[in-house]
Amino acid sequence: MSKEKIQIEVNGKVAVLEVESDELLVDVLRKNLGLMGTKAGCRAGECGACSVILNGKVVPSCLIPAMKADGGKITTVEGLEEDGKLHPLQRAFVEKGAIQCGFCTPGMLLSAKNLLDQNPHPTLEEIKTAISGVLCRCTGYQKILHAIQETSETMKDRGV
Amino acid sequence: MNLSKTLVWPKRLHWEKYFRPQTIPEALGLLEKHKGSARIIAGGTDLLLQIRNGDLAPKALVDITRIPGLDRVRLEGGRIKIGGLVTHTQVVQSRLIEERAMALKEGASWLGSPQIRNIGTLSGNIVSGQPGADTTIPLLALNAEVKVVNKKGERTIPLTEFFIDTGKTAVDSSREILTEISFPALKKEETSISLRLARRKALALPILTLAIVLSTDLAKRKFKYARIAMGPVGPIPFRARETENLLAGAPISEDIIKEAAQKAAQESNPRTSLLRGSEGYRRNMVANLVERGIRIGVERLEGKNV
Repeated sequence: MSKEKIQIEVNGKVAVLEVESDELLVDVLRKNLGLMGTKAGCRAGECGACSVILNGKVVPSCLIPAMKADGGKITTVEGLEEDGKLHPLQRAFVEKGAIQCGFCTPGMLLSAKNLLDQNPHPTLEEIKTAISGVLCRCTGYQKILHAIQETSETMKDRGV
Repeated sequence: MNLSKTLVWPKRLHWEKYFRPQTIPEALGLLEKHKGSARIIAGGTDLLLQIRNGDLAPKALVDITRIPGLDRVRLEGGRIKIGGLVTHTQVVQSRLIEERAMALKEGASWLGSPQIRNIGTLSGNIVSGQPGADTTIPLLALNAEVKVVNKKGERTIPLTEFFIDTGKTAVDSSREILTEISFPALKKEETSISLRLARRKALALPILTLAIVLSTDLAKRKFKYARIAMGPVGPIPFRARETENLLAGAPISEDIIKEAAQKAAQESNPRTSLLRGSEGYRRNMVANLVERGIRIGVERLEGKNV
């Protein structure tokens, strides 16, 4: 097997990494960079726990060879906080009780962030579609939907 | 699907080399050099699962996503041309496709999940050769054809001749690349519609997918023609030719729509499946969706927003 060099920008920091040619992005994020927020759930692109934002799109990092992500810009859940302060979505998830076991939460947060970045005031249907790629077996989704709705409304109040 | 295989699949995937060619000739050269042991990867959402399942074990992957010029949707000479790297998300967001090939937008919009749609390509969805694939069915109804290149040159294959068996198509991804999908953009008197029956709205395989392209003469209240594709009701995507013949030139009436629905149920051939339900149920659903699809098609042509 051959080691290959890749360069990715993760949460605003450039990382040059040596990876195996058959390694997947999810494993490189967790193993090489220690970013354990990105979960490897089903490893089949079905549960959404491994979701990250790559070049502005939410993608399943378990189905992306690390070599394919070379040169890309990635946001993981660790990149949501700013200066030690939680992102408004993270705060809303905590306040609304939108977290139970937490395994789906990173994928939910990143799906929601990507939606609000592109569409700050989505309809409930748009929110449902945006998180439809992440499975949650605890909450029944209602509290997650409320948390995202509330974040969107708070942003509206602040004139975003 | 072999369930036991999916339960024990390995955490680690394996291939030896990963190439990222910048041009099509370079990609074809890499495939040739590996004599069938290398495979094209674009979105990879099907391929990586096939590797994990043990269905495929390529020694090398040839990533074509860095080849420029294959990621556009455009209208040229009355045809919609979709580059080999266009993702489902791009299809869903395309105004052109919404206006002139609605069934394809609908099919792409419920494929997999946002994550899968963001990386999975339309070409990949076809090349995987699944008989009920969400974009294959509308593309078949739209009379699509595909361009395929290999070392010997380029050829065009109508989608009606593209599917050989479940999982097997006219494209050999260890030697060839599908570079373009194209079909005539629908005109004013034509419309299209996709319908899908599945257990859930996201991340669920379809029990049945249906697409209809319909042309009518509303002044004379007649169907001009219909093209009806559906799946999975057999090993390959299915065109309901007898139903199409029944509708061609027929008056638009409740009776003929019901008759067409029954005809489609007769000529389709669904099997009893643990994942998708019994044969009888699925046949009933064929009739159900065909009836609903034709009705919605007529309403769309009448200018209703359905």
